Amino acid sequence: MTDSELHPYVELIAREARRPVVSDPAARARVMAAVRAEPIPTRLPVWLRAFQPRAISLSPAVGGLLAAGLVGIGVAVGSFALDRGGHLAGQATVAERPPVSPKVSDTVFVIVAPQAAKVSLVGDFNDWDASKLPLVRVPNSGLWKVAVPLPAGRHLYQFVVDGNWVADPGAPVAGDNGFGRPNSVRIVRTGSAL
Amino acid sequence: MLSASKLPRWLVPPALRVGALLLLGALPAAAQQDPLIKLDPRSRMAIDQMMDTLRQLGLSDARLRSTALQGIRMGVDNGKIVATVSRKFANLKTAFSILGAVGDNELDAAAAVLEAGAKPSQLGAFKTRQKGRTDLDAFTVWADLINRGVPSEETSTAISKLWQEGADEATFRRLWNDVQADISQGQNPGAALQARIREAPGRPAQKPPTTPEGEVENQRSR
Repeated sequence: MTDSELHPYVELIAREARRPVVSDPAARARVMAAVRAEPIPTRLPVWLRAFQPRAISLSPAVGGLLAAGLVGIGVAVGSFALDRGGHLAGQATVAERPPVSPKVSDTVFVIVAPQAAKVSLVGDFNDWDASKLPLVRVPNSGLWKVAVPLPAGRHLYQFVVDGNWVADPGAPVAGDNGFGRPNSVRIVRTGSAL
Repeated sequence: MLSASKLPRWLVPPALRVGALLLLGALPAAAQQDPLIKLDPRSRMAIDQMMDTLRQLGLSDARLRSTALQGIRMGVDNGKIVATVSRKFANLKTAFSILGAVGDNELDAAAAVLEAGAKPSQLGAFKTRQKGRTDLDAFTVWADLINRGVPSEETSTAISKLWQEGADEATFRRLWNDVQADISQGQNPGAALQARIREAPGRPAQKPPTTPEGEVENQRSR
């Protein structure tokens, strides 16, 4: 196909395209003047750049560990904010109002266990934790004793003698606790106990 | 654009360590705060529901919590802990429905009487009380004597009679001391109670309504 066979419109376009371009000698000067007239962008300070939006991408491992850390912080804060009963610290329910006048007095617990190597006291006053209240052996006797400051009221307890839970032979029992061994009962008043 | 591949290499290991330490450090702290977390989720939920119910009734959940804790410390399996707490829960509700708004200590003691084998109707004698008078000792002696083998009917009759006659705390304590001493010496439990109840002095029912020093009635100690 030759030029003479082209459509007149195509010929017109081709002719225009072949025409040499003559640029204005002052154009470059005008463009540079316009650029110089634009304000120079200032670099933001570091603290302001921290608030500028930007996309962050992390690998799954790093992202997972950061999330685990955040969950850990949440659990730690939550566990400190909640007391043991699951209520917000300092928030008492209707049934958990503090006693009007808590009378705390030292209550002595004694058991005779001459062969024992270790005796401790567990009860509702120490969450039944055998590590909290060890009894002390009275020298030259088979007697073990401990004095515990207890508020007035009814307390359930047992002794743990060398790992075995036993009721106090000198106190009333509250009956089968459902776990095979009866709990003993101590009613604490100011200065006397049943 | 900040990507893991562009993070300085020296920054990655400390970040990993901090994340792991935070997670591992927080979980034991939570477990230490609440020992009931050692229960399996299903058992924990069942016990939580019972405790919630008590709180909604305006009662303390301390006894249920203490029972569950004792089971955990003794290494009892979760099913047995839930069964025991359920029985305690039922007895506390029954005692509350009979006695009404008494102190937590008395409610616990009344529930223990039911656990020992007394009938709910036998608690009815303790529904009315004089101001300043506590039935803690009566309930404690009652539950103990049933557990020592004294027939439930005889114990209930004797304790209710003493209570209605106005017996004080010292009377109940003396009765317990004497009967348990007789039983430990080999006497028949029922006979021991009958013998001692005849000696126990009652008190006039119209006792002055004064609150003695150290009274614990209606106290919410826990």
